[in-house]
Amino acid sequence: MTTPGNNKTSDNQAGAQADPRDELIARRARALYREASLRIDPATAGRLRAVRRQALDAAKAPQRHTARWLVPTGAFAAIAFAMLMVWQPLSHSPSTPANHAISTDQSADVDNDLPPDAEKTDPSLYQNLDFYGWLAANNASNNQPANR
Amino acid sequence: MSTVAGTLETDLLLDSARETPATLDAFLAQVERRAFRMAELNLRHREDAMDAVQDAMLRLVKHYREKPAAEWPPLFWGILRRRIVDLQRRRKVRSIVVGWLGGGKDDEGSEMPVWEPADRGPGPLDRLHDSQSYADMAEAVKQLPQRQREAFMLRMLEGLDVAETARSMGCSEGSVKTHLSRAMHHLRGQLEDWR
Repeated sequence: MTTPGNNKTSDNQAGAQADPRDELIARRARALYREASLRIDPATAGRLRAVRRQALDAAKAPQRHTARWLVPTGAFAAIAFAMLMVWQPLSHSPSTPANHAISTDQSADVDNDLPPDAEKTDPSLYQNLDFYGWLAANNASNNQPANR
Repeated sequence: MSTVAGTLETDLLLDSARETPATLDAFLAQVERRAFRMAELNLRHREDAMDAVQDAMLRLVKHYREKPAAEWPPLFWGILRRRIVDLQRRRKVRSIVVGWLGGGKDDEGSEMPVWEPADRGPGPLDRLHDSQSYADMAEAVKQLPQRQREAFMLRMLEGLDVAETARSMGCSEGSVKTHLSRAMHHLRGQLEDWR
């Protein structure tokens, strides 16, 4: 409200009361209202000041966005952790034979340099060790001239 | 200009305090006492009036402090008006509940007063020099229907213009003028012997 009286002229046309007593009533009522507002007892005035400061302090107080987000974030983290804990035991459960075979094959490439595990290797391999030895020696001798 | 609004225009233009302050603190400091009196006139209870003013201040600061200063007055008075209506409704519901529970009548069947906490604080009449006139006005305003009372208080007592009064009341400017006209008509009858 910049100047409340500015718009009064236009208001008069529609809101005007021709009765002269209206003028008296309005002026008198307003004067009494203003006087009553000025003559507020000190205790009430003090409370009003305190109420105003409280309202303004509430606005000045830093918005606790972090505190507001802590609870949902913590809840989400707890749920995620719980799901992880549930999921991990499932992933370590005995896998299917097919998967196990695949993983064995993959690990075989890596462990080529290691001596074969007697328990995991095919028993027929040990039965034909001489043949495989001869095959390896033959292949080595055949490949040498070719490499050169 | 022999109209009420014309007379008030002069008053308002002379009243330098009507300029809206630039800061919210200064604005609230300017209106807090009048807001209290307005709430008190409506609610007839000082503690309820204080609660209404406090709530209006908090809501204005919380939700509308970023608004231009020129918009604060209609926003503030609108918030206060709604808060007053809320408190009046709550009081009415409380009275109904007390009536259902048998608190509305005493043992002899006589009507008990509507339950309201006692207001023992110093009223405006204790300090106001022209106390009887104020009491007459308060009683006459109390007799007005809700919307007429709001229009009279915001437009005539607080000095908002029609557009601001309409914003505060949540109605059209035409409705404000109608309510105000009827309010003045009632007050003429109520304050026949007012001096």
